[in-house]
Amino acid sequence: MKDLSQKLERAFNPRTVAVVGDKRAMGYLWLNALKAFVGKVYSVQINKDEIPGIEALGVPNYMSLLDIPDEVDYVVCAVGRAVSPRVVADCIRKGATAVTLFTSGFAETEEEEGVRLQRELGDMAREAGLLLVGPNCMGIYNPKLGLCQSSEQPQGEAGNVGFISQSGTHCINFSHLGYVHGIRCSKAVSYGNAEVLDVADYLDYMTDDPQTEVIGMYVEGPRDGRRFFEALRRATRLKPVVVWKGGQTEAGARAIYSHTAALATEEALWNAAMRQAGAVTADSLEEIVDVVKALLYIKPGTGRRVGLVAMTGGQSVVIADAFGRTDLEVPLLTPASYEKLASFFNIIGGSYRNPLDAGGTMLMGFRMDNLERMLDILEEDANVDAVVLESAAPFLKSRRLMTRTLLDNLLNFVSDYKERCQKPFLMILQPGHLEGAMVEIRSKFLARGIATFAGFQQGANALSKAIGHHRFRAGLD
Amino acid sequence: MSTIEIIDRAKSEGRTILTEVESKQILGEAGIPVARAQLATTRDEAAAAAGQMGLPVVLKIVSPDISHKSDVGGVKLNLGSEEEVAAAFDEIVAAAQRAQPEATVLGVSVQNMARPGVEVIMGMTKDAQFGPVLMFGLGGVFVEVLKDVSFRIVPLEPRDARQMIRDIQGFPVLEGFRGQEPADLAALEDMLMRLSAFVEEHPEIQELDLNPIFAYKDGALAVDARIVLS
Repeated sequence: MKDLSQKLERAFNPRTVAVVGDKRAMGYLWLNALKAFVGKVYSVQINKDEIPGIEALGVPNYMSLLDIPDEVDYVVCAVGRAVSPRVVADCIRKGATAVTLFTSGFAETEEEEGVRLQRELGDMAREAGLLLVGPNCMGIYNPKLGLCQSSEQPQGEAGNVGFISQSGTHCINFSHLGYVHGIRCSKAVSYGNAEVLDVADYLDYMTDDPQTEVIGMYVEGPRDGRRFFEALRRATRLKPVVVWKGGQTEAGARAIYSHTAALATEEALWNAAMRQAGAVTADSLEEIVDVVKALLYIKPGTGRRVGLVAMTGGQSVVIADAFGRTDLEVPLLTPASYEKLASFFNIIGGSYRNPLDAGGTMLMGFRMDNLERMLDILEEDANVDAVVLESAAPFLKSRRLMTRTLLDNLLNFVSDYKERCQKPFLMILQPGHLEGAMVEIRSKFLARGIATFAGFQQGANALSKAIGHHRFRAGLD
Repeated sequence: MSTIEIIDRAKSEGRTILTEVESKQILGEAGIPVARAQLATTRDEAAAAAGQMGLPVVLKIVSPDISHKSDVGGVKLNLGSEEEVAAAFDEIVAAAQRAQPEATVLGVSVQNMARPGVEVIMGMTKDAQFGPVLMFGLGGVFVEVLKDVSFRIVPLEPRDARQMIRDIQGFPVLEGFRGQEPADLAALEDMLMRLSAFVEEHPEIQELDLNPIFAYKDGALAVDARIVLS
């Protein structure tokens, strides 16, 4: 499509939005989603009974897109599928840049009529150079502009993480869950049935978008796998791309005569494509949030050897297990490090082989100077590439052992350390039964730019994947 | 015959499966190391071919309808004299006809008996989503039972060839173990790169197996090959 990137730029940054077909029975889903939009919002609704409710929301209503006394950049179409061709025709006549078809009942139904209608809309849009997002999707999210997919979505802040999703639910959920893990979206798109624009188009856009520093995506099946692969390869040279693959499309049956064809399953080839293109992979919402968090907050590094600090003997054992299960290593420290540690480590109830079982030596946080010495030793140790600190903050808080001062001291200290430490550094907030305390403390650490993870394996997996990405960028492996 | 001629002939005969002899001819022309095979349609031709290439030789049934040659008694290894070769010809043809009476038997292929090496498999298939892809793995039980293989999308960069060999779990076998000499990894990487270029140049190829390839410490040789046209 001619001028595709300029059009996408306008679609993701519209000045005016029109919503066609929103209504009370839908809870004014779209008009409410756009209530904080910084530009102008118009409604198009021909049902007279709906108009008072719409105008009560402060949105001017018109009988047709063509009646709106303004240019319209972006349209959200929420009418039934039978009426959608008329709306798309009006979008073209109006000169809108893009239209999101929230409307469903198209090719995803696998019914002849749905498939036909989708094709018809697609042909209209393609011929006119209109960007059609969907159908069957939630469209574009730009939090800085208040262009939201739902009324509760984070908005008002500019972010740096782009998200491309074949599913509306996963798009919205990523924006929510990401937010409480320190992730702010630059833009996102839920792209549905991908009749005109597919994942590769959005990926190209986000690759070139200076605001976007990390790209995440949820994809089930690109329509043009080869093009997607090429777009991925181009993207990963510039910024990290994390791919969460959903579902397995059914392979078409055909006769095969060779070993190779028999072994070339969907899954095997997808995994190979991800590896070859340098994409990072994730298998769940929680994991993609963790991996993006790791890529954003942990300094880049290519070494796999980790220095671990845990608070008790039991934690020391399992933290080493968790990191050892990944492709990371838990090495012995240098003799020089052991000498230094021996001079102050409280060996009663605490070993320091790596992991450092530090609780006794730190005295529950009262000896912050000892924690500093431990972390400095790990920073200087030639056998250590990355440093991991387990904190018992939630545990202590729940036992009312943690006063505000203690927590602030820990926050300040860890924040300073992370700034000056040359090596990748992350924290793990020991999993506990008081989830409220964990959330509260985690958000304090994240606010200081410190990557925190909710469990040892989660932290280990996220670090391993982030390092994998940095190694790829460095041309290693 | 040249590659184009071989492919045209197969098409005109309504065939998509090329014989081992044809497949090796095409691959050899593309610079891929294969154990050259000659087609012999009579026991005398077989004996003469053996005499010409040098003993010992291997005889294999040639038929577009027979995929698993050993299963039908269609392979005879290590034949050390022209008499053995002639007798083997008769046995193979008879065995194949017993096992698959409907099969069109074109004759036997005659090739030198290759020195044993580490068995490796390479292949290609056209995927509906990603287009042509290459496969690599260790042969025998590694591929048949464990499915320990790696894939890359064509065209390959040198990094892809290097990586896909090292991605398989059985990679340490290629580095040499229990007295087995290590394999020439550079030769295997080169073979993958040549295969990638070859596949790109021939979009009419739908599937391809090089199985087995013997990897030595100084080179690699494809001992059997099968090409399927689309």
